[in-house]
Amino acid sequence: SSNEHKLNFKKSKEACLSYIQDALLQKQWKRAAEFLTCYVESLEKDYSREHIGPSEMIWRIGTEILWHHSQSSMKEFSCFMEQMKTLGVKRYLKVCLEHVFHLLCNGQIDEAYQNLSLAESWRFGEQTAIQDKEMKLIQAYRGLLDYYSWSEQKNILLEQGEDGFSDLAVEQEMHGYFRKAAVNLKEIIKIPGVWDIFVKCYVDLLEFYGDHNEARQVLNEYAYNSKFPANPNAHVYLYQFLKRQREPKKSLISALKILHDIVPSHELMIDFNTMLQKSKKRKKRRLGLEVIFAALDYAGWKENAKAWSCLTRQVKQIVVSDKHLDWIKQEWNSRKDWWPAFHFSRYLAKRNWQEDKSLSYEKALVAGILLGKGCKYFKYVSHQGCKAQLKRFRMLKKFVNRHNLVYLKISG
Amino acid sequence: MEFPAALFPSYFGVGPPQEEGGPAPVAGWGEHGQVLEGGSGRRQVQPAFVPRRGATGERWEAADAAAVPLLLPRAGCWIPSPAPQDILYRSGLCRKLRAGKSRATLDFARQLGHFFVDHPEDAFGSLGRLLHKNFHLGNSKLQRPARSSTIRMTALVEDIDRLEARRGCPRQHLASRLRWFSHLCRDWLFEVPLGLLADCLHEELMQQWSNLLFDDSLTGGALAWLPPEDGGTPVGCLVHPGGQAMNHLYFQDVVLEELPRTRGSPAQFELSGRVQQVAAARVDGQDFVGVRSDYHCGVWRVLGKRGAAPTPLQVIRTDVPASSLTVSPHVPGELSVCTQSGTVYLWSVETGLQQLRHDPQTMFFRDHSPWRWSDFTAHPRVLSCADRTGLQCLDARAPKRCHFDLFKVGKEAGCQQGERVVLPMYLGRAHPSQYLVTTQFSVYVLDERLPLVPVLKWAHMMKAPPLFAHLMPGKPGRSHKVLLGASRTQELLLLQYRGKTSSFRGGSQSACQLAGTPQKLHNIAGCLQHLPTQLPHHHHLLQQRLTAPAAGLAATLQEDGPRKSMLIFQLSEAGDVFCQRLTHKAAQPPAPPSRDEATTAPGSSPLFEAPASSPQGLGATALRYRRWLRALSRVCKEPPRHAWPFSLSQRRLFTRRDLEGPPGPSNLQRQMRQWLRQTMEEGGRIQHWETLALQPPPLPQTLEPAGGPDPLSARLTAAWAGDWEQWWEERTSFSVAQRRQALRERRRQQKRAQGRRSLSASFTSSLTYQSELSELSDTGPSLFSPGRPPILSQEGSPPAGSSPVGSPVTSAAPDEALLSSQSLRCRGIPKERRKTLRDYLSVWAECPPEPPEPPGSQASELCFPSSQSQLSASQPLRKRPRMGF
Repeated sequence: SSNEHKLNFKKSKEACLSYIQDALLQKQWKRAAEFLTCYVESLEKDYSREHIGPSEMIWRIGTEILWHHSQSSMKEFSCFMEQMKTLGVKRYLKVCLEHVFHLLCNGQIDEAYQNLSLAESWRFGEQTAIQDKEMKLIQAYRGLLDYYSWSEQKNILLEQGEDGFSDLAVEQEMHGYFRKAAVNLKEIIKIPGVWDIFVKCYVDLLEFYGDHNEARQVLNEYAYNSKFPANPNAHVYLYQFLKRQREPKKSLISALKILHDIVPSHELMIDFNTMLQKSKKRKKRRLGLEVIFAALDYAGWKENAKAWSCLTRQVKQIVVSDKHLDWIKQEWNSRKDWWPAFHFSRYLAKRNWQEDKSLSYEKALVAGILLGKGCKYFKYVSHQGCKAQLKRFRMLKKFVNRHNLVYLKISG
Repeated sequence: MEFPAALFPSYFGVGPPQEEGGPAPVAGWGEHGQVLEGGSGRRQVQPAFVPRRGATGERWEAADAAAVPLLLPRAGCWIPSPAPQDILYRSGLCRKLRAGKSRATLDFARQLGHFFVDHPEDAFGSLGRLLHKNFHLGNSKLQRPARSSTIRMTALVEDIDRLEARRGCPRQHLASRLRWFSHLCRDWLFEVPLGLLADCLHEELMQQWSNLLFDDSLTGGALAWLPPEDGGTPVGCLVHPGGQAMNHLYFQDVVLEELPRTRGSPAQFELSGRVQQVAAARVDGQDFVGVRSDYHCGVWRVLGKRGAAPTPLQVIRTDVPASSLTVSPHVPGELSVCTQSGTVYLWSVETGLQQLRHDPQTMFFRDHSPWRWSDFTAHPRVLSCADRTGLQCLDARAPKRCHFDLFKVGKEAGCQQGERVVLPMYLGRAHPSQYLVTTQFSVYVLDERLPLVPVLKWAHMMKAPPLFAHLMPGKPGRSHKVLLGASRTQELLLLQYRGKTSSFRGGSQSACQLAGTPQKLHNIAGCLQHLPTQLPHHHHLLQQRLTAPAAGLAATLQEDGPRKSMLIFQLSEAGDVFCQRLTHKAAQPPAPPSRDEATTAPGSSPLFEAPASSPQGLGATALRYRRWLRALSRVCKEPPRHAWPFSLSQRRLFTRRDLEGPPGPSNLQRQMRQWLRQTMEEGGRIQHWETLALQPPPLPQTLEPAGGPDPLSARLTAAWAGDWEQWWEERTSFSVAQRRQALRERRRQQKRAQGRRSLSASFTSSLTYQSELSELSDTGPSLFSPGRPPILSQEGSPPAGSSPVGSPVTSAAPDEALLSSQSLRCRGIPKERRKTLRDYLSVWAECPPEPPEPPGSQASELCFPSSQSQLSASQPLRKRPRMGF
């Protein structure tokens, strides 16, 4: 019966698909391609109401095969993509985008630009939400390419400017690119999302034309709008912008403070700490100690000699001046039950000594102050240092011995 | 660790997942996702773009055509877990009924029946004992006085049989007798009230069924690899469970060679529950191994030096089953434990348990699954905890106040409807702040510095949800490898991802990219097609064993100068550990049509064929397989002793027909039937049974006529010539005649010696002798054949046609029954003659001498030359059947 026939057809379609899948997962591109030519028949009777229909499957599988097949060429790929675009209206923009991505990754920027322009002018009835998003992305990528053209023209102009003459046509063209790029980039960064490159490019454009207020507004929006994800880069861009603008320390610190609250382990925390240590205000120096302690809590900072030297410097300062020992005490309180095992074990002492002497020096000093001269880490490193007759380590031993009482005050 | 300077663009939305969908077979192919300008900066004229997916990765190729067994199967056959056909109702009627609705129907009645048959004592014990006189199980008619108080069960049993035979027939009428009986005794017959029992059984069935659909207790996997020390000898340690109930924990040293091999015998621990998960982490040069079973969690420490015995450190017991156990990669002796009720603990060997959260509700939306998970993060005091709806991070110092959402099943991560978290894993060894989350559809990489937005997402297209994952961090500039493993389908998938751009930019952090295409690896079942052809039932056993669900996954990278290889171990629920090697191929721009396309095509089996590339490797592989197969057949063919709880009543009931008086079948036939039945019960094989069954009694060595050629060579010569049987006939008739002669000779001597004995006594005794002798010579062979068939095809059993002289060991044991004073007494042989007869028989059978008679029996026999024993001799001793069904 016809029903049975339909079932059989479905079954053989599924079997074919599983063969293709198997071949793809084993990187047997030729075998997959042969099966795919058979699978194309499944388009004939596409009764499926599944999430991904046969036409999308063919697009996906075909693309994958053409990426890896030893005998495929860019021309063939483009040809295949053009065919795929006509297969389904709903997927048109998506296929266009992927095509553009492939062209971009292969360095065919001009073709990509053409494709983007074509896709942008495509209209078909009412757009779904997803198509709307895809269209915005297409425009944004076109804006990005316009930006790169602009920056190219800008470089040419700058080089010419050095030589002492300017080309009006080039300048005109550059301004044209600016307008096209700015319009598209401005649109996408209004929508919640992660738009790092688009924001960066747009700010660069604005800064070049001196529109600092707009740039600041864009960056503030990107960093502080609660509809956007908590992207550390948004804060980094803002901080860098403020730095470029030579803003007062205060605003830099407040920008970094927020970054510290979101990501205490960010690499900018070292800059933040140095900035705070230099401050005259007690409160800020206190914050600096907090920041560096918090950064060293993270596994990624465990062997960061720079961070340890920051901590050493500040701890040393506090111990020598004998003021604000309570700061250390407070920080140490929530860490004394696990820092010794995490940072100051004998095993780590051995390893740090072997791998990075200056790191072990910094850590030994902190360990000696925080845990007293009986601490395993300090004992091992100072012993090794004295054995190796390093002056620095002898000084270290002396320093810790002199300030051994601090440890009692902190832990008491 | 630096944060990437720019991330791939993506939209961000809040709320429940919108995208409809489901498992899509090819959703992961053909997409770059997004691109990012990540090339060489402003120097070049054109910007260079990198894709989120589709960048070239490293090339890894399988060294062998299939995974190779690492360990030999251990004694004690594996008991397969129930399959769908075990608990589902299947019949034509039901299938028709089910066509409309998709729900599976559990075969409740059959399971209840199994319970009654397997545990009759628990089901009906007391009433059965009380009433057993009132039930008659024979075929004979009941006598008058008994009829008033006894029910004949035979008819009832026949009705049941008939019902069974008509199962699935739409027009079956319940026998009124059965209905009447069940109506009558339903309320009082059962030990456990039927309703209660049914409830419990139903609950258990539902549990089993949901486990069959998706068993999350294995999440995380029960296999761990403790890598060798840096720069030390290439000997690692594999931690895996084993034993029939998977309740033994083994620490097995493994030498990493071309084909990894075990070294020495493993350290072994017997635990009080099935091992569900083994987790390990190396801190400060020591390995900490956490082991989770349902109600117990334990932690072991293994020192970095191989050969040191693992030390058990601590065990905790939980009231509700634990669902996750992870070992801290930061602080030695710290673990995190999660129980099904939603309690998360930080467990420190030194300070004990610290409860961080107790919340039976799921985090982001309501989900019925009690599964919970927890793991460590970049901060040693911040733990992640997960349920099916997402992940949260808790600060152990202030768990109530300090927490943030790391992952949510929702629009934030672009999830599909119905998507659920299956396995989260901290990727600390690759990048301190990255996290892997797998769902049944996709795999996500998250960065805890940018929560909720996955830095990488890919549809993995696996047929079963990935329950196991393993990370192999790559050195700077190289990709990290993640292995995903599913349980039921044994799928193994290798993914590569990169978090750093290649070294030309100074190795600065860049956004996460998926590198290369995902790669399917060999699974355990895949070797089946390469194995030599087996006997059908053997093949079935093997198939069952090899397709057992996977239970764990471990892997290691091995760098031997320029040669890099990857070793992957996979554990199955049957306790088998298989391993495979992948070798790294240096990047060749467009790969030429690869060799493996031809060799790994289905049908071919290069495993057992003469290898071309590496002779010693493949030869060793084949050898490994042979040894494994041999060990498996040895282990599995061992006749299961007391495999079923033996119960007298049940046996009587089901062998009722055999209890009927045998008018027809002869002695031999009966015995053959019995053997056949026994062999079938034991699942053995019948082989050469005429030769062995009809095998005449072994040769009496003592009566050998001197002077002739030695009997063995004579027989061998005869066998060689082909007329062995005839030779044997002659031989036996000759020896019987000769024995008679010898016996007469001896009796004459005895008579001469005991002249004072009465004539009558001598006469009767000789008469008995004669009759016994004739009986013996008539049915001699069958009487002397072993009660247990020696014909079970065992690996260790002598080959067919081996000399009967060699077999008295097998035939000796049952003869004891014949020679025992009991049986002789039963035959009514006077005591004084018994000794002589026994001597004679022992010569005949060459059996070991019988233990001396207990003096008690001797005495009683003397006092009561009982008529009872005479009676019982005439009819075989038969116990009265007890009621039980």
